[in-house]
Amino acid sequence: MFAYVVRRILSTIPLLIVGTFLVFTLTAISGDPLAELAIQDVDQAAYDRIIELYNLDQPIPLRYVNWVFNAVQGDMGPSPSQGGQQTFDLVMQRAKNTARLAIPAFIIVALSAITLGVYSAVKQYSKLDYFVTGFSFLGISLPTFVFGLFLQVFWGIWFFDWFGVRPFFVLGMRTVASDGWLDMIRSHVLPITTLWLVITASESRFQRAAMLEVINSDYIRTARAKGLPRRTVILKHGLRNALIPLVTIWAIDFALLLGGSVVTESIFAWPGLGRLLLDGIFRQDLNLTMGVVVFISLLVVIFNLIADLLYGVLDPRIRYD
Amino acid sequence: MTETTGVPAPDRDQRSAAAAELAEREGMNITSRSFGRQTFDRFRRHKLAMISAVVLVLLTLSFIIGPWLSPYTFSEQDFTALNQGPSLEHPFGTDTIGRDIMVRTFLGGRFSLRIALFVSLLTTLIGTVIGAVAGYFGGTLDTVLNQVVNLFLIVPTLVVLLVVGVRFGTSPNGIAVLLALLLWPSIARVVRGLFMQYKEQEFVLAARAAGARAPRIMFRHILPNTFGPIVVNATLLIGVAIILESTLSFLSVGVQDPIPTLGNLIEKAKGSLDTKPSAVLIPGGFIVAIALCINFLGDGLRDALDPTARKA
Repeated sequence: MFAYVVRRILSTIPLLIVGTFLVFTLTAISGDPLAELAIQDVDQAAYDRIIELYNLDQPIPLRYVNWVFNAVQGDMGPSPSQGGQQTFDLVMQRAKNTARLAIPAFIIVALSAITLGVYSAVKQYSKLDYFVTGFSFLGISLPTFVFGLFLQVFWGIWFFDWFGVRPFFVLGMRTVASDGWLDMIRSHVLPITTLWLVITASESRFQRAAMLEVINSDYIRTARAKGLPRRTVILKHGLRNALIPLVTIWAIDFALLLGGSVVTESIFAWPGLGRLLLDGIFRQDLNLTMGVVVFISLLVVIFNLIADLLYGVLDPRIRYD
Repeated sequence: MTETTGVPAPDRDQRSAAAAELAEREGMNITSRSFGRQTFDRFRRHKLAMISAVVLVLLTLSFIIGPWLSPYTFSEQDFTALNQGPSLEHPFGTDTIGRDIMVRTFLGGRFSLRIALFVSLLTTLIGTVIGAVAGYFGGTLDTVLNQVVNLFLIVPTLVVLLVVGVRFGTSPNGIAVLLALLLWPSIARVVRGLFMQYKEQEFVLAARAAGARAPRIMFRHILPNTFGPIVVNATLLIGVAIILESTLSFLSVGVQDPIPTLGNLIEKAKGSLDTKPSAVLIPGGFIVAIALCINFLGDGLRDALDPTARKA
């Protein structure tokens, strides 16, 4: 088990190196970080200092090696677009804001996807099944940004016109400290709903398929034949096995949620990782972009590993050797 | 190939005449249906898919004909009608610099659909070739494919698209190529799996025994069998491409003004969301309608072309 974990971590290192090198190179060649300075009236000495500070006169592979060397020692470099703050601190601070959306969203997604998936599988071809199928088709076809903007129009404009109140905040994050619990919840509802719909739509489809496969297997018939109540069979024998294939999907979805949703955060003006990434990309801030990308990649790697280990817990037949 | 048995084989007419005679004698009614006919019959039974196909054709036609019927052009500015809501003269309103949104929406639909079709074709081509080679030959190539798939998992697609799209994805063809370069692994994996499965079957052995070389076996013998899943995936890719392209446009990466796409129309209109929500909701509605139709169509095609496939 321990050897397995070590081997898995070691095997992802080459991928991480290739991945970060690709993003590093692509970011570096996609724009000129000095463009913003060039339009301001900066004297030559300051210009040269910036070039010196960020090694802009060196070839890209050399800059990458330099960056890796610092990064593995925990120094992600300063972020020029954020007033020279340390990238590491920025990412950690924004990650907290993103987690405030990601964790509740993930819990609601998991619960509703399981419920919808199991119900529509158990009652296959019923009205409810068609409803769930229709819902997931709609969710898959609805781009996040269209849904987010629709929620803003609905609650911010239409609902306000009809009833004269805005039950939810459509922009920005409010903290407990500034406005109290109720206001904090009101500012979280719409972004969480946006994240919820899109992920739940696809997860409930997977859950339904997994559950259908389990329900039609022999051991379920055996369990029913020996007289166990239907409910016990579905929940204890069926669901437990139908959850196993879903674990990988959950892991990746949760990692991506924690990595920050670019679209949802920019629609709802949420100061999280997604917007930090956009800032980094648009302002040619290589250190910042790389900081967020590394954070997302590490999350994906870690949660994938956790998923693989959970496999063994849920299904003891799986052995790690 | 030449006949080696010496006895001449009955030709097609003789055979079908014999079959008809047999059918009459036994009281059976044999009507042969071609593969295409069978597929179409199965597809027709899927009501939603049929409706979706009709809606898609109508939408496409309106995207093609609409701009041509409109009295306005996509870049013509009317300075007396800036940032207006829907009216009789401009049914979808005008944007902040006085351009008619209706003609821009139809043209945007045309560009978005064109990009998505191009993405789907290119992705399918790249993915099929790579998947076929990896699945048939296995070995190092297969390992490389798997590692690329893992790499794309670790570095999320959207991040790469944003990073590269800022500079290289500003034209319709540029963004389409970028999307194709990032989307092919999913289709390559499907094709790879099918090729691994088919290469062990007898007909491949027979072809090999008859002296066929690898390219012929791959593309003449195995590929036609994978037609169903590939078409289904190519169809669903159109939907994925529409959504990804519009998302990028929304984040102001991707095709730039004055060329309209459904995504960048929304990006331009989101600033006046509170006074003129129609300018966001109408192009948004078109995106959802197209994506929904494509997904239903793909589902219907899966049932029709690939009846044994498990629905996920």
